[in-house]
Amino acid sequence: MKKLKIDTIFFIILITILGLANILNTNKPTVSNLENRALKTMPQLSLTNIVNGSFQRDYEEYYSDTFILRDNLVKLSRDVNELMSFLGPDISIVKSVEDVQLPPNMQGDEKETVSPEPTGSETHEAAENPSSTNENTEMPTPTPEPEKDYGDGPDVGYWMVVDGKAVQLFKFNKESFDYYAQILNKYNDKLGNGVKIYSMIPPTNGEFMQLKKYKGITDSQNDALGYLKSKLNDSIVSVDVFDALNKHKDEYIYFRTDHHWTALGAYYGYCEFMRTRGDTPLSLSEFEKIDLGDFLGSSYTKTLDKSLEKNPDNIVAYKPLNNHEFTIYKGNDGTRADIIDMQYAGDISKKYLVFISSGGATWSKVKTDINNGKKILVIKDSFGNMLVPFLVPHYEEIYVVDSRFYNMNLTGKNIVEFVKDNGINEVVFCIYMEDVNWQKFMSGVENMLGSEN
Amino acid sequence: MVFSSLFFLCTFLPVCLGLYYIIRNRTYRNWLLIIASLIFYAWGEPVWISILLLSTGFTYLSALAAENHRGNIKGKIALIASITGNLLILGFFKYSGFLINNINGLMGTGIKVPEVGLPIGISFYTFKLISYIVDVYKGETEAQKSPFKLLLYVSLFHQLMAGPITRYKDISDAIENRVETFQDFNYGVSRFIMGLGKKVILAGTAGKITELFMGTDYSRLPLLGAWFGILMYALQLYFDFSGYSDMAIGLGSMFGFKYKENFDHPYISKSASEFWRRWHISLGSFFRDYVYIPLGGNRKHRIRNLFIVWALTGLWHGADWNFVIWGLYYFVLLVIEKSFLLKLFEKLPTIISRLYLWIVTLVGWVFFYHNDIGQAFRFLGIMFGVGDNGITSPELSIHFWNNAVFLIIALIGCTPVFSGIFRRLKEEETNSELVWFIETYSKPIFNIAVLILSVIFLVGQSYSPFMYFKF
Repeated sequence: MKKLKIDTIFFIILITILGLANILNTNKPTVSNLENRALKTMPQLSLTNIVNGSFQRDYEEYYSDTFILRDNLVKLSRDVNELMSFLGPDISIVKSVEDVQLPPNMQGDEKETVSPEPTGSETHEAAENPSSTNENTEMPTPTPEPEKDYGDGPDVGYWMVVDGKAVQLFKFNKESFDYYAQILNKYNDKLGNGVKIYSMIPPTNGEFMQLKKYKGITDSQNDALGYLKSKLNDSIVSVDVFDALNKHKDEYIYFRTDHHWTALGAYYGYCEFMRTRGDTPLSLSEFEKIDLGDFLGSSYTKTLDKSLEKNPDNIVAYKPLNNHEFTIYKGNDGTRADIIDMQYAGDISKKYLVFISSGGATWSKVKTDINNGKKILVIKDSFGNMLVPFLVPHYEEIYVVDSRFYNMNLTGKNIVEFVKDNGINEVVFCIYMEDVNWQKFMSGVENMLGSEN
Repeated sequence: MVFSSLFFLCTFLPVCLGLYYIIRNRTYRNWLLIIASLIFYAWGEPVWISILLLSTGFTYLSALAAENHRGNIKGKIALIASITGNLLILGFFKYSGFLINNINGLMGTGIKVPEVGLPIGISFYTFKLISYIVDVYKGETEAQKSPFKLLLYVSLFHQLMAGPITRYKDISDAIENRVETFQDFNYGVSRFIMGLGKKVILAGTAGKITELFMGTDYSRLPLLGAWFGILMYALQLYFDFSGYSDMAIGLGSMFGFKYKENFDHPYISKSASEFWRRWHISLGSFFRDYVYIPLGGNRKHRIRNLFIVWALTGLWHGADWNFVIWGLYYFVLLVIEKSFLLKLFEKLPTIISRLYLWIVTLVGWVFFYHNDIGQAFRFLGIMFGVGDNGITSPELSIHFWNNAVFLIIALIGCTPVFSGIFRRLKEEETNSELVWFIETYSKPIFNIAVLILSVIFLVGQSYSPFMYFKF
């Protein structure tokens, strides 16, 4: 044969055009909204970078990150995968590595104010993309080298999408719950009698789904809570959020496209908390309802599932009506912010960040017009962000701390000193089931006690 | 750089091909290939080029000496010096950590493991150099007078990183006198696309499924889940590696080189012996020609020779005990097969021997996967019903049905059914029109589809969402 075949011609044309398009495209994106992350930027060209190979690696990553029509091609690959699973039960389970987001203040730069950008993206990428050549085996082994984490550390999450809802599958880990109890008991010892401690663990939506056909696919969170009860010191009060939510399980208490509870779910949690304290919760109508519109949250980003995309969530916030002043602190430098911060309401995938202005401060504080002398510290993860606004009508001062962002070096105090210095008389742990089940998270909570514990 | 990266596919390769075919002169073309290969190699860690050049340099010199003094003691010294030097370099980079860890473990010493890292492809090019010097010494080929042409053989980017382990004598002629033809180019592209599809679509998908089972919490893994997981791993390894070899052969063909086949549908074998004649052929034949036969082959100490070959084969795959066990496992199987099993299989229906092959191969891959031997045995225990993890689970049934179509495609992809049918069609004169149609339209269109899908998958694999509130 004296000529090129059509596939050869197509091949040459395709790789040339794609190559040219990538080089000539000067308008490269720097942020991927689909992925919630900053894309790799063109690396610095220097002799050192070339010699140690980092330029080449970064350039290749930059090349694929900014590949022409990337978002469309990513979605196309999802569609092909979905097509291939047509024999399946319309349920998919996605395994994903949970990300440890480092507090911004642990990454060196301490001057900058809390930024809405994903602060951990560098760390994340380093962890997720180990050098693709496997140095130990000689076969050009599988590029995504499976992580061999035999402990099944919960930094591996399983997400199931069923009926247009994403569910995180719960795999009970006894040691983690022991550890949680141990840490709370330690707080109890350190803080002494003057401070009341509450443990409030929001379950995930997996517990309330009707998965008859797949019984046993997710462990019982209620059983896990039952197990925990016997481990906690008697003077620590457990808030039974589980029962409270269970009574309303048919209401819109969880997002479909995000792993968090909705403001309504958080409201039921708040009511239970107030009743446990012997207080009376306000009715929902005593808050200002703000409809933030459509929301495609974390579960969508993780799974890119089409049934989620087609049916986005509606996200609503409830704002307390009494006078209050919300301040977020970077170190000990405060900045005023809104407790429902509308600067985050623009992007469909980031709307959860409106609650207490992303919750990513070193610490934050609400000063209210209620002069009852009650001061509470909320030690929380992002589930707690939803709870804080509801507490505003009940306390004189509310302090909020997230172990991933709290930094003793910046505040000069460990959490015990923090509580004492501010005259705090209640502490509530509002940390959701999966983080309780994740020792890495809880060790951050332990570390806030300081080194001399 | 790897072949299955967007940068290679859409920039490196078209630039290389373009320049190569603009240049008309053979010598310049060779220079272009050397430079391109060194850039390709330098893409990982440029410092390792020095090792590549060093090994090539002294092998070049010792080959000249071995040729000049062929048959006398000086020639032998040159040969031994070259082999020793190459093995020492390989040993230092690849096995010093393993060795020191074992010494520390046995003697309770605390020698520090040097952090050297492994030059990419060193296991492959070391073997290429050894085969070269041995062939020169034995007079099977002439020593290359130009160090640059030898460097071209060693560094040629098609097969630098992951084989096949080509022999110098097989491509020495092509270095000087190759003729690039349209036919070879067409074949090369077609072969490259097939390899790309195998690697990106099939191995990529199998790899994602593998991760759901292998290396997870084994206290929850049901029996069938273990089998499904290891099957997916087996598919991933095969498509990954054979896909890479296909791409190498295809690239070679685009530039006028012909490399020998490296895989021949290993999973349709009927015994472990046959499997190893079909899996990573260039490695098996290397060990046969340069270790087994020089040791005495079948003539004397056969069992000892087999033992050495298989221990080395295991160790070559990775510097860890699980790879040694994996190699010796095949030693045991081969000895058993040669002593009676193959004869027994001849009397039984072939389904039995095929089933046997699948089971023993999958068991083998369990050791290949797990660096931790304890975990390997734990996994084997689950496969064979030890413990009470149950037979199946709801997760497994979801994964199985979601991936059933893929599984069927992948299993068909392990067999030569399509090429078999096509060959039979070709034999009959009356089918010539159909054959023409397939060759001119069906196959090219299929290739185009695979290429497009591969690009889509390649981009899809770069998706790494950042959960900025997994709080």
